[in-house]
Amino acid sequence: MMKPMPTAFTALAAFAIAAAPAAAAPIVGRPAPNFKLADSNGKVVTLSDFRGKTVVLEWHNPGCPFVKKHYGSGNMQRTQAAAARAGVVWLTINSGAPGKQGHMSGAEARTLVAQSGARPTAYLLDHRGVVGRAYDAKTTPHMYVVNKAGTLVYAGGIDDKPTANPADIAAARNHVLAALAELKSGKAVSVATSRPYGCSVKYADG
Amino acid sequence: MRGIGYWVVAWLAAMLLAAPTQAQLQPKGKNAILAGLVAESATIVPGRTVTLALTMRPSKGWHGYWKNPGDSGIETQIAWDLPAGLTAGPIQYPVPERLIVAGLMNYVYEGDYAQLVEVSVPAKVAPGTKLPIRARVDYLACTDKICVPETANVAVDLEAGPAPAAGTNRAVFDRFRQALPKPLGGEARFEVRGSRFRLAIPIPAGLELGEPYFYPLTDGALSYAAPQTFSRSGDTLIVETDAPPGGGSLSAVEGVLKLSGGNGLSLKAVPGPVPAAGPPLGPAGERPAPGASAVLTALLGAIIGGLLLNVMPCVFPILSLKALSLAKAGGDEGAARREALAYTAGAVLICLGLGAALLGLRAGGVAAGWAFQLQDSRVILALLLLITAVALNLAGLFELPAVTAGGRLAERRGLGGAFWTGALAAFVATPCTGPFMGAALGAALVLPEALALAIFAGLGLGLALPFLLLGFIPALRRRLPRSGPWMGRFRRLMSVPMFLTALALAWILGRQAGVDGMALGLAAATALGLALWWVGRRQGGALAWLPLAPAALAAVLAAILVPTAAPGPAPAAAQGLLKSEPFSPARLAALRQEGRAVFVYFTADWCVTCKINEKGALEREPVAQAFADRKVAVLVGDWTRGDAEIGRFLETHGRSGVPLYLYYEPGKPVEILPQILTPSRLVSMVS
Repeated sequence: MMKPMPTAFTALAAFAIAAAPAAAAPIVGRPAPNFKLADSNGKVVTLSDFRGKTVVLEWHNPGCPFVKKHYGSGNMQRTQAAAARAGVVWLTINSGAPGKQGHMSGAEARTLVAQSGARPTAYLLDHRGVVGRAYDAKTTPHMYVVNKAGTLVYAGGIDDKPTANPADIAAARNHVLAALAELKSGKAVSVATSRPYGCSVKYADG
Repeated sequence: MRGIGYWVVAWLAAMLLAAPTQAQLQPKGKNAILAGLVAESATIVPGRTVTLALTMRPSKGWHGYWKNPGDSGIETQIAWDLPAGLTAGPIQYPVPERLIVAGLMNYVYEGDYAQLVEVSVPAKVAPGTKLPIRARVDYLACTDKICVPETANVAVDLEAGPAPAAGTNRAVFDRFRQALPKPLGGEARFEVRGSRFRLAIPIPAGLELGEPYFYPLTDGALSYAAPQTFSRSGDTLIVETDAPPGGGSLSAVEGVLKLSGGNGLSLKAVPGPVPAAGPPLGPAGERPAPGASAVLTALLGAIIGGLLLNVMPCVFPILSLKALSLAKAGGDEGAARREALAYTAGAVLICLGLGAALLGLRAGGVAAGWAFQLQDSRVILALLLLITAVALNLAGLFELPAVTAGGRLAERRGLGGAFWTGALAAFVATPCTGPFMGAALGAALVLPEALALAIFAGLGLGLALPFLLLGFIPALRRRLPRSGPWMGRFRRLMSVPMFLTALALAWILGRQAGVDGMALGLAAATALGLALWWVGRRQGGALAWLPLAPAALAAVLAAILVPTAAPGPAPAAAQGLLKSEPFSPARLAALRQEGRAVFVYFTADWCVTCKINEKGALEREPVAQAFADRKVAVLVGDWTRGDAEIGRFLETHGRSGVPLYLYYEPGKPVEILPQILTPSRLVSMVS
């Protein structure tokens, strides 16, 4: 689990370490772009370290009503718990720039994760938006699934009901859970892309 | 689970930390976008439909979303609660705008907008039945920093009745409808070549496009935030932009092409070949800085164009006489140079002034082109009077220091005189710029302002160049013919092209303001002529110019009275082989009352099919002959700007767009013709 570390160091680390290939947008079926990011504890997390495990990437902004839809209802936490039970790594990424909605320091992120009952493997801080841009993450939430071989196998929305109304969750198809189930049983992901919906990622200007 | 309670606390904490966004939150209980529901008519006729408008009024700084919101956002959702039997159609969205925030594209509305919905009522509903319409509307309201999903419960009460209520919201709804995209009619084609999405849209070659942009309705067809480049190949507009990475194959791409003045055309594209791109039209979105060579070429073109203007009938007399006067003055080098410079300053400043006014108008959203000032009949009137005065002056009716080479006035020649001569030359030159300068100046309009102004200045410089050279190169001056009595004759002769220019202006005035306007203009010109004659008789006295006062008054009166828009036929329609008049339902009814056969057609400048039919079938000799033989009246409805009356008429004939061809023969039901016409079909129709 996450252990507290000095906040100033966390913030510094987040700025210093964020690094990812500034390649074109990732393509489903191709290798997922590798990246290094500091998590909310200041620890550096590298995507390639999880080779051999399935990885879910979740773009997050706590101020966004669409994110609230899935956290307020417990839908995202349930999805994270199901992933954890299946041994799947879950990386929540915040690409909100300083001064913009949803931007968080490491300490704030730790509090938020603890209080919301979220279950990510790590909460990553991408203040400069480098990884967000590398993945062409457009909305919060915007979900990606990387298989054990490091190939991107899903990119899109959390489900197929593009609304902010939590009542729509019950009847929706959770694309991430479906993809994880298909991967587990050795099948190809049937819905490999969908249109992400939500707030725009609050990237730094320019 | 610790879930919700903790989450809310954390969230509030996060919101407090995010102070800047906090300031933007709307007061509780008040939506950032106010939604309302209005009906076009409070009475709804059973068996028919009524149009409802979901009116949306964003607070300052907030925006709502188009059906395809772009990279983020959601479309409007309406949950209807309708009386039994009533059905609501899909939401019709007005043409949106673009908003790029941190590299992500949003297709939005930043000002008030209305989304229209058709509600139909079954025929069996009894008149007098109350029909309460209720709806829950969910939509997303955003600033450039935050988004808030909002819900509005809207209501309007209707009643079934025999006829739509009087005093309806028709005018308001006409405005709403004008903001909707119009169906293109023709089919577009698209292809993905490499990483590029390419789209071919049938658009007539001559149509002014402004700054076009293609708003895709189909998701996954193109990268929203990528710049779009436009080029033309005959009657095809080609759009090129980035395809999204890893995009699948699509069977159709729908969207809206936005043209100048907020006009939008909705279209559907199917897979198919797209012609090679031509020279880019000026990309939508951010304008890349044009290459230095392109700017130089345009500048050179403008200077050469300005030079050419000197031989135009409206400019040549002014220039030649001015040049001769300069030559005659001889001697003083410095004076000649100063005069040449003053003349150049006058010409350049007027060109710059016209250019700046044009850019200003365009920035204000007016679809103006070069010589835009000539679209105003009052300007034409002013030019007519000016040219008439110049012509009369050249003819010797009176003397004017600035223009003439007259001996006595040569001494009064001064820098002011030279400056105003240059200004006059530039101003009267504008009617002649159109034909060959239009394209070059059109190119200037897509450049950044400073460069565009440089092009306009280049035009003025080119215009002044001959005189400038004469002023600075004495050898040239010496080569001019010696002055003598022939100069008087030459001057008289030069009045001829000026009178011809005046005649052309009178004709333009007639086209713009009708016969009455032209008569008014000619009357003002006559009054001016008489006054100038009087001036000429008294010339030299202290109050020599006094008689001009009543003439000036008459000119001002005429300028006020002259109609600014032609009451007469639509210019395009009246010209051709087929005699026609503009469509109105009243005119159609009147003609049918008279027992005339009437052929009605609806067209628009952006409609390729329409133009092909007009060229290939309607404007043919046998057709015109057959129509004339049978005394078939022809009415033309021009829907280029989405005229609401025509829009309603199209709707009653089950069409949402043009072309539409109708033939009314006395005593027979109206015949709707196919969308592709042939001369033989038209001839057989009337015989």
